[in-house]
Amino acid sequence: MRTGDIHPIRNTKYLRPQEEWKGIIAIYLYLAGMGAGSFIIGTLIGWCNVKLDPSFLPSIHLFGHTLNLSAVPILWGPVIVAIGAPFLILDLGIKWRFIYACLNPKTSWVARGFIILSIFIVLGLVLLAKSVLPFEWLHPASVLWRILEIIAFIFAFATAIYTGILLKATKSIPLWNTGLLPLLFLVSGLSTGSMAMILSTLGTGFFPHDAGALKVLMGGEQVLVVIEGIVLYLFLFRGYRVAEQGKDSVRLLVFGEMKMIFWGGVVLLGFIFPVILESIASFLPGNAVLIFVAGTLLLFGGFFLRLGILRAGIKDQIPMHRLMEIRYNSMASNPPSSPLTLRGKEGG
Amino acid sequence: MDEKVLIVDHQKCTGCRLCEMVCSVFHTGASNPSRSRIKVIKWEDAGLYLPMACNHCEKAYCVEVCPTKACHREPQNNNRVTIDKKLCIGCRTCIIACPFGHPFFDVSERVTVKCDHCDGDPQCVRFCDVKAISFLDADKVSMARKRESAYRFIDSMRQGR
Repeated sequence: MRTGDIHPIRNTKYLRPQEEWKGIIAIYLYLAGMGAGSFIIGTLIGWCNVKLDPSFLPSIHLFGHTLNLSAVPILWGPVIVAIGAPFLILDLGIKWRFIYACLNPKTSWVARGFIILSIFIVLGLVLLAKSVLPFEWLHPASVLWRILEIIAFIFAFATAIYTGILLKATKSIPLWNTGLLPLLFLVSGLSTGSMAMILSTLGTGFFPHDAGALKVLMGGEQVLVVIEGIVLYLFLFRGYRVAEQGKDSVRLLVFGEMKMIFWGGVVLLGFIFPVILESIASFLPGNAVLIFVAGTLLLFGGFFLRLGILRAGIKDQIPMHRLMEIRYNSMASNPPSSPLTLRGKEGG
Repeated sequence: MDEKVLIVDHQKCTGCRLCEMVCSVFHTGASNPSRSRIKVIKWEDAGLYLPMACNHCEKAYCVEVCPTKACHREPQNNNRVTIDKKLCIGCRTCIIACPFGHPFFDVSERVTVKCDHCDGDPQCVRFCDVKAISFLDADKVSMARKRESAYRFIDSMRQGR
C-alpha cells in the first residue's frame, strides 16, 4: 500500500479522482447528516422523558406571549438541515432549475433526496414550532403529535442515510459503491449531531448533572465515535479489496494527495483528539473548555470525513483503458520492436 | 436493425484533435476544443491516443441518475442518449456516473452536454483524415469484430504448427 506502487499510466489521465463534487457538496452532506443525527438523538432524549432544566434560556416575548424555548437545544436539527440544503442548490449549474428535480421525485436519488430533506425539514420545523409556541391548543399530548414525531424521526434517519446513498448510487466509483457508506455517514451524523447538541448546551446546566443525562449523552457519543472508527476501517478495507480503483482511492486518501485531509482532518481531529480530550475531561468534572475544544474538533472531523471520501472517488477502469495499460506495459518491456513506441518518440 | 454507432480505431489515431475542433464548432459555433463532445486522451510518452466519445450505452448510467430526465434515450433517433439542455439543472451527477467519463460540463451554458451524433452526421467522422473514427451499423461492427477474432485465431493456429 505505497504510492510508489501506482502505475505511471494511472493517476494521470482517467484515474484522477472525480472533480465534479467538491467542498460545497461536502458541506451539504455534512450539515444534512449532522442536523438529522442531532434530531434523532434529541427526539430519543425527549422520548426518554429526561428532565431538562431550561432556566438558563432567555425568555423571548412575542405579541404578548412568552415563547417556550425548553426543547430548542434538542430539536434544532431541522434548522441545520435547512441551512445545508441550499448548498446543493448552490452547486447546480443553473440554480433556479432545482425545482425541476423536486417535480420529478421518482427519477433518481438526487431528486428523492430533495423530497426526503424537504419532508424532514417541514416536519422538524413544525415540531420545533409546536414546542416553542405558547398556544394551549397546540400542546395536547395527542396521538397525532406522537405519530408526527415518529414520522419525523424516520425521515431524520432517511436523511442521514440518504447522504451516503447519494454517493452509493454512483456505481462507477468503487470506493462509494458500498452499503457501508450510508452506514458510515449515519454513524458519523449521529456522533457529530450528539456532539453538536452537547456543545449547544455546554456550561448551561441544561442537562442536570445529578440525573446523569449529560454523562449518558457523552458516553453514547464516545461509543458512536468508536463505532464510526470501526465502520471507517471496514469501509476503507472493503474499498482497498474490491477493485483496482478502490485500491487507488484508498491509497490516495491514506498515502496520496489527500493524506492531510485523512490523517490530519479525519483521524486526528475527528477521532484521536476528541477521544483523548474527552477522557481527560471525564477526570476533571465541570471543565467545559476541554469538552468544547474536543467537540469543535470532532465537528471539523465529521466535515473532513465527507470531504476526503468525496475527493478520493476514482472511477472504474473501462476495458479500453486496461488495454492501453497493457500496451504501455508491453512497450516498456520491449521498446525497440514496437512501432507505437517509435511513433510516440517522434510525436512526443 | 438500422442503429448506427461510433467506432474508434485507436491504432489509426494520430492525436491531431481535429475531431475536437470540428465538434465544438458544430455544436457551439466556437473553435474551442474544451467545449467539444469528443475528447482525445493522450499518453504522449507512449504515443497512444484514444478518442473518447459517448457510447450511448444500452444500460446508460447517465440516464439512470439524471434527476430531471434531461438525459434520455431517443429510440426514434438512432436510439441515441442525449441531454435536453432546457431540462438540465447542471448537477453533474451524470458525469460522475458515466464510467467512460463522457458527459461534459459546459461552463458557458452551465449545463452538461454530450455527443448526439450531430443529428446523424457526426462531424468527427467526416473530418478525421486518417479515418480513425467511423459511424457504422451496429450489426457490421459486430461482424467486423467476429472476423478479426477469427483471423487472430487462424494466426495463432499457424504459429502453433
